[in-house]
Amino acid sequence: MKRHWRIFCEFFRTCLVEELEYRSEFLGNFLSSLFGIGMAILTIQVFFYQTDNLGGWKYADVLLLLGIFNTLQGLIDFALRPNMSRLLQHIRMGTFDYVLTKPVDSMFYVSFRHLVFWRLIDVLLGIGLIIYALIQKHYMPTIMDAVMFFISIGSSLVLIYALWMMLMTTSFWVIRIDDLSFVFNSFFETTRFPIGMYRGWLRIVLTYILPAAFITSTPALSLLGKWNGMTTILSVVLAGLFLWISRRFWRYALRSYTSASS
Amino acid sequence: MSIQVEHLYKQFRVHVRQAGWTGAVRSLFKREIRTVEAVRDISFTIPSGEIVAFLGPNGAGKTTTIKMLAGLLYPSSGSIQVAGYVPFEQKAEFKKIMSLVMGQKSQLIWDIPPMETFLVNKAIYEIEDRAFRQTLDELVELLELEELLTKPTRSLSLGQRMKCELAAALLHRPKVLFLDEPTIGLDVHTQEKVRRFIGQYNREHRTTVLLTSHYMGDVTALCDRVLIINHGKLLYDGELDMLTEKLTPYKLLEVQLSSIPDISWDAYGELVDAKEGKVTLRVPRERIHEVSSRFLQLFDVRDLNIEDPPMEEVITLAFQEDAHVS
Repeated sequence: MKRHWRIFCEFFRTCLVEELEYRSEFLGNFLSSLFGIGMAILTIQVFFYQTDNLGGWKYADVLLLLGIFNTLQGLIDFALRPNMSRLLQHIRMGTFDYVLTKPVDSMFYVSFRHLVFWRLIDVLLGIGLIIYALIQKHYMPTIMDAVMFFISIGSSLVLIYALWMMLMTTSFWVIRIDDLSFVFNSFFETTRFPIGMYRGWLRIVLTYILPAAFITSTPALSLLGKWNGMTTILSVVLAGLFLWISRRFWRYALRSYTSASS
Repeated sequence: MSIQVEHLYKQFRVHVRQAGWTGAVRSLFKREIRTVEAVRDISFTIPSGEIVAFLGPNGAGKTTTIKMLAGLLYPSSGSIQVAGYVPFEQKAEFKKIMSLVMGQKSQLIWDIPPMETFLVNKAIYEIEDRAFRQTLDELVELLELEELLTKPTRSLSLGQRMKCELAAALLHRPKVLFLDEPTIGLDVHTQEKVRRFIGQYNREHRTTVLLTSHYMGDVTALCDRVLIINHGKLLYDGELDMLTEKLTPYKLLEVQLSSIPDISWDAYGELVDAKEGKVTLRVPRERIHEVSSRFLQLFDVRDLNIEDPPMEEVITLAFQEDAHVS
């Protein structure tokens, strides 16, 4: 763990150097992030002109949910998304061979090698929005709320990672699709709104098959003091299960890679 | 024994696709799968510290074998041991004692200086600060990297980049080094430098080196022993000099004369070239002494030179399917 953290820091450092090499347009990125979150808030406000609750959630609750969504999206764009295209490129160009000769877990390497650090702006904006929503609501989370929140947000991070990784692993076979991340986006966008908003089979799918409900709704409810021990435990179990599946899938893909030529 | 390979086989299953529209549509419905035998029953051993060349035309199975040795491909059958490890188990300890350099593929980070790649490798291989500094200093000196370390990789020439690739691969001081065409695309001068470096590194650190190359220069300069492979089969395993003797039972005799007499040269050997007073003959090895002394007696010889046929010629002969060299 400590070793992986050290390697991660090294990845972060090189990516920073790489980014600075191009004197990245920090201001431009900052403005576009700000614009993105502003538009999202505006959309929610438009909803609330018509009604005062969305799937059982009040305005401030939805803001909080949006804050969590933004934070998670920032983390995805920071660590996961930049690696998708690189893995495709590695496999197509054959430089994936170098990854396999390194004494480091290959799944760890391909998922965190490339980081786009200015995407952390989204994370900061997201956290800001969470705090703002809590102030709006005049609610101070208790210690227990915070504990539940951190457990469930941890689970959602693991869940996102596992789902993302499974999608990324398919690039061993479908190396012609350039932007697999589009598939993930369509799914992840569903977590922008409370799960209660969805009806019928869609809700069942988003709760049990692709557990979108656990990604933003559970942490948001925890922070608002509406947590439920069983749900939190379930989110941990699901996260573990999905991580295990994604790992097995990665191993399986590697085996078929190493038994074929590139 | 550093590398031990026994009865190694590798088969690939490939789709056969016909060209054109109909072929593309047909392959959608019915895939014709053919098995290609890339490596067929190869066995050899390489003692530690030795430097051995792997020769063969394109598609002979060299890279497939190297990839199996490095643990990137799973052998269809047969056994491999490299420094006591089974490569395809992909143990971290194994990866720490070996290194792979592919002339056609780069591991350096494109947009930033090579030093950054070195630092990433330092973290991945868990190299201590002191050991890292020491190794780096040595490599910088041997490869003359001083000025390259801080330039973005994309602005380096191919030769400069190759030197940095070698440095990146050697930072963790591997015991076994696989070089897949390390000098490809380099100019003669840089090839020479890279070659000299590999030789020197091998001597100083007793690193086992297995290298493939298309340039005979690499092979003659670095290796005493060669493995020749074609169509996935090992054709020859032994000394380079022996190969020359076996395959080309003649030497080249070059004689500089004051003037070329108008006679038939058949009594001496096979005429290769005769111009500007210089006669080149292909003479059977066992007759070379006799022929050259007769030359000295009969003609006004200004200079006489006996040479082995060029290595390229020998290798071309070796690649011919019917060559029974092993």
